[in-house]
Amino acid sequence: MKRLTKIALAAGVLAVATTAIAQPKPENFVKQRQSALALIGWYFGPLGAVAKGEAPFNKEDAVRRTTNLVALSKMPWEGFVAGTENVGNTKALPAIWTKTADFKKAGDNMQAEMAKLAALAAAGDEAGFKKQFGAVGGTCKACHDDFRKQ
Amino acid sequence: MTKPATDLISAPVWDAFVRVFHWSLVLLFTVSIISGKVGGNAIQWHMWSGYAILALVTFRIIWGFVGGEYARYVSFLTGPVRAMKFAKGLLGKTHEHVIGHNPVGGWMVVALLVLLAMQAGLGLFSNDEIATTGPLARYVSDETSITLMGRHRTIGDILLVLVGIHIAAVLFHLIVKKENLIRAMFHGNKELPPELAREAQTARKASITVGFVVLSLAIAAVTVAVNWSTLFKP
Repeated sequence: MKRLTKIALAAGVLAVATTAIAQPKPENFVKQRQSALALIGWYFGPLGAVAKGEAPFNKEDAVRRTTNLVALSKMPWEGFVAGTENVGNTKALPAIWTKTADFKKAGDNMQAEMAKLAALAAAGDEAGFKKQFGAVGGTCKACHDDFRKQ
Repeated sequence: MTKPATDLISAPVWDAFVRVFHWSLVLLFTVSIISGKVGGNAIQWHMWSGYAILALVTFRIIWGFVGGEYARYVSFLTGPVRAMKFAKGLLGKTHEHVIGHNPVGGWMVVALLVLLAMQAGLGLFSNDEIATTGPLARYVSDETSITLMGRHRTIGDILLVLVGIHIAAVLFHLIVKKENLIRAMFHGNKELPPELAREAQTARKASITVGFVVLSLAIAAVTVAVNWSTLFKP
């Protein structure tokens, strides 16, 4: 009985805590998406030197980066909620909230191409990896061109 | 009055450096625009063509002081009054022959050179926020680099407009004024009235030696700039 009380109490505390963090302010959403995209840049950028032939292909490093990238590629989208159009230093264009289907497609494209890049890294396919890197970069650019202030 | 073609004499106007510069630039500009718009791995081509353009334009800017007579700024830069007068004449029925760049075209040359130099220079410091940074971007803050990237995009658009006007003007000369400037830029000769043709024939020629020296210096300067971080490791 005592144990059950403890569990109930813990569950109650957790519920309160969850409720507390489940109501982010608009600026938190902006921070969420910017952080996710910044991390994507962090893990993706150095692979550009590999694709350009300026750095050697290192399978272990490519796998580590793309594993993180596949997870990260799913993250920024939940930060683009309505009501965060003009919050803080956002570069998000209104088109994100008016052309929602196109924006989702742009995000889905990136995730799909990123998954392929990770598969090629895991397979140790250097030539395929370099080529696919350009395809992923293309999806970044497509979305930036249409949905981001230049 | 437009003179009949039989009265015109072919005379050398464009030196070889001007011509090779022009058509190389046409090719490289096309590569730059397309690779920039495509993005992805094409960005590698964008960077290479940008470096080449920077070297070429650097060369051409200096060539404007030391090149053949009609490559020099002093031969084609005129005041706004003269340019306006020439422009008016163009739209009328008269056809005023000019040996080198005409008073309006001359200013277009300068505008294109300045903007191309700025554009290629900005590229060196740009950060596209995907996976590509210009070779000198590391020497400025990310914020600056991203701002310069914005300028790089804007000037790219301005250049497209100017190149469009340039091509339209050349086509205007070809179709309306029956003057083939495109062919002249290939073989270097223009069809001119006798007195202008004589002047062109005796005008200062380009020095091949000076041309290659300036071109080499321009290529060397760009090579050093592009490889600065590996040449001078911090």
